[in-house]
Amino acid sequence: MMDPKIQYRLRKAARQMLLYLVVLTITLVIMTPVYFITVLSFLTTREAYEYPLPLYPTFTIRMKMERGKRGYLLSVWDRNEQAYVSVLDTDDADKMRVYMETYLGLKPSNEQVTEVMQKVDATGGQPVYFAWRRHILSNYATFFRVTRDAVPALIRSLQIAALTIAISLSIGGAAGYAFARYRFYGKNALKFSVLFVRMFPGVAIAIPMVIILARIGLYDRPAGLSLLYSVGVIGMTVWITASIFMAIPVSLEEAAMVFGATRLQAFLRITLPLAFPGLAAAAMYAFIGAWNETVAAIILTEFNPTFSVVVYQTLLGATGQVNLTAAGGMAMALPAVVFTFFIRRYIHQMWGGVTV
Amino acid sequence: MMGTKRARWFSPTLTPYLLVLPVLLYYAAFWLQPVVTVVIQSFRDPVTGAFTLNNFALVLQDKDFWPAFWNTFIIVSISVALEFVVALALSLLIYRRFWGSGIFFFLMLIPMALPPVATGAIWKTGLTAHGWLNSLLIHLGVLAEGKKIYWLGTPRTPKWQLLTLIILVDAWTVIPSVMVILVAGLQNLPREVIEAGYVFGGTYWRVLRDIILPMLRPTIQTAVVLRLISAIQIWLIIVLLFGFSRVPVLVERIVYYHEEVRGLDIAPAMTTGYTVIVAFIVSAAALLYLYLSGAFEGEKAS
Repeated sequence: MMDPKIQYRLRKAARQMLLYLVVLTITLVIMTPVYFITVLSFLTTREAYEYPLPLYPTFTIRMKMERGKRGYLLSVWDRNEQAYVSVLDTDDADKMRVYMETYLGLKPSNEQVTEVMQKVDATGGQPVYFAWRRHILSNYATFFRVTRDAVPALIRSLQIAALTIAISLSIGGAAGYAFARYRFYGKNALKFSVLFVRMFPGVAIAIPMVIILARIGLYDRPAGLSLLYSVGVIGMTVWITASIFMAIPVSLEEAAMVFGATRLQAFLRITLPLAFPGLAAAAMYAFIGAWNETVAAIILTEFNPTFSVVVYQTLLGATGQVNLTAAGGMAMALPAVVFTFFIRRYIHQMWGGVTV
Repeated sequence: MMGTKRARWFSPTLTPYLLVLPVLLYYAAFWLQPVVTVVIQSFRDPVTGAFTLNNFALVLQDKDFWPAFWNTFIIVSISVALEFVVALALSLLIYRRFWGSGIFFFLMLIPMALPPVATGAIWKTGLTAHGWLNSLLIHLGVLAEGKKIYWLGTPRTPKWQLLTLIILVDAWTVIPSVMVILVAGLQNLPREVIEAGYVFGGTYWRVLRDIILPMLRPTIQTAVVLRLISAIQIWLIIVLLFGFSRVPVLVERIVYYHEEVRGLDIAPAMTTGYTVIVAFIVSAAALLYLYLSGAFEGEKAS
C-alpha cells in the first residue's frame, strides 16, 4: 500500500504536469503563426521564394564568385540544398549590385562589387568566398519605399488614432465620471445604450456616413474616420473610466474641497493625476480600435487611405513579394500588440467586470 | 454632499446630466443620424428618391444573397458554439494561477489584438501552397520533401472544406481571448461557495453545472453577445484568403457592391439593401440571444 501522503503528492504533481502540458500546447498553437510571420518579414526575397521556407532568418549572406561564361558567376549559399547555388552570370557590376539589392537585401556600392570581381581576376579564376551582413530591417525599409502611399497613410492612421483618443476620452471620460460619482435618472438606460450602439454593425454606419461626411466636407479625410471610430470607442471609454473613477475614493475630493478647492479644482488636482494610468489605458484601447479598423476605412476613403487599407490592398493584390507583405503586416501588428501588453491587466478586469 | 461656499454656476443636481449630455449628442449626430439615414435610404429609389421596396427585392434576387446568408449562418453558428465550448473547457483547466500565467494570458490576447489585416497576412502567407504551414510540415517530416497541400483549395474543392478552414482560422483568432475573459470571470467567483459545493458532496460536474456556470452567467452572456455581433460581420479574412465572390458572406457583399463594382447601375441599391439587412440580422440576433439567455430578466431583478 502506498502512503496516502505520497499518493496525494503524486496526484498533485500529475495535475501540475497536465496543466503545463495544456498551457504549452495552447501557447505553441497560438504563437507558431505569429513566429512565422515574423520570420517571413526578415527573409530575403530569394529565400522567400524557396520551398520549404527556412525556419529562421539569417542576416549574413554567404556568397561565392568565380569566372563565368559571360563574366562573373555569383553563387549564394542555399540552406535547403546545403550548397552554393549559382544565381547570376554577368560582367556588369551594376547588374550584380541590383541583384544583390533586390534578392539578397544587401546594399553594396558598385565599387564593393567591382572589388570582389578584381579579386577573382587576381586569383586567376579561383572562386572567391565572401559573406556580407545585411540590415535587419531591410525588408521594412523596402516595404515603405516601394508601397505607394505607405508613409502618408501611416501618418494619417496616427492622426486618426490621436483624434479618436481625444474625442472619446473627453466625451466618454466626462460621462464615466458622472457614472462613478452621481446617481441620476436614466443611468441604467444609458448603460444599456452603450451596448446597444455596438449592436448596429460598424459597416452599416459607415455606408450612410459617406453622405453625412461629404456634406460637412470630411469625406476621405482623417477627421471623418475618427468621428466614426469614436462612436464605437466612446462606449468602452465610459465603462473603463467609470471603473477607474469608482476606484478613487470620493473622500479625497471632499478633503480637497474642505481645504477650499472647488469641485473642478479637486477633480483636476486630485482625481485626474490618480486616474492617469487608467486613462492612459483607455487611450491605448482607443488607439488599438482606430488603428486596427479596416472596413469603414475602405468605405470612407478614396485617395487618402489609412495604413490598414494600404496593407489590405497589398495583400489583396498579392502580386507583391511574401517577405514584403509580411513586413507590412508586422508593421501594422506591432503597435497594437505593444499597447495590448500595457493594458493587459485592464482588459482582464474590464472583461471580468463588464456585464450586460 | 459637500459644504463648499463657492458660488456654483450650475446646480449640482444638473451636473451629471451636463456630463452625460455630450455622449448623447454625439450618439445622436454620429450614430442615430446615420442609422436613420440608411434606413430611409433603403426604402428609396437611388435615382428618383421615391418610396420603393425595390432595393430589398434586388438583394433577394441577387444570385449570391442566399449563398452569402447561409455561409454566414453556418460560420456563425458553428464558430460561436465551438469557440465558446473550447474556450470554456480550456479556461476551467487553467484558471488557477501558475508560474508564467501573466505572460501566458498576455500571449493569448495577441490574436485578438492583431489588426485583421495582420491576421490576414499571417494566414495568407501560411496557407498558400508554398506557405509556411506546408514548409513547417516538411521540416517536421510530416510532409514529404517537395510535396504540398492545397489548403486554400482548387476551384473544384467542396464548399464545406473552405468553410471549415474559415472556421478554424476564426477559432485561432477568437478562442484565446474568450478564454481570457472566462478566466477573469472565474477568478472573480467567490471560492467559498464553490468549496461549499464540494463539502456537501457535490461531484466536479455537479459543482460545475449547478454552481460555477450559473455564477459565471453574466460573463458568459457578455462574451457571447459581443462575439455574436462580430462573428456575423466576418468578411476580411475570407476576402484575403479567397478573394471576392468565392465564398460570399453578407458583409463581403456590402464591400463588394460599394467598392469592387461601383460602376454598376444596381450598386447603390444593392449596397443600402445589403447594409440594412445585415444591420437587422446583427441587431435581431444579439437581442434574441440576450432575451433567450435571460439577460433582460437579470436586469430587472438587480
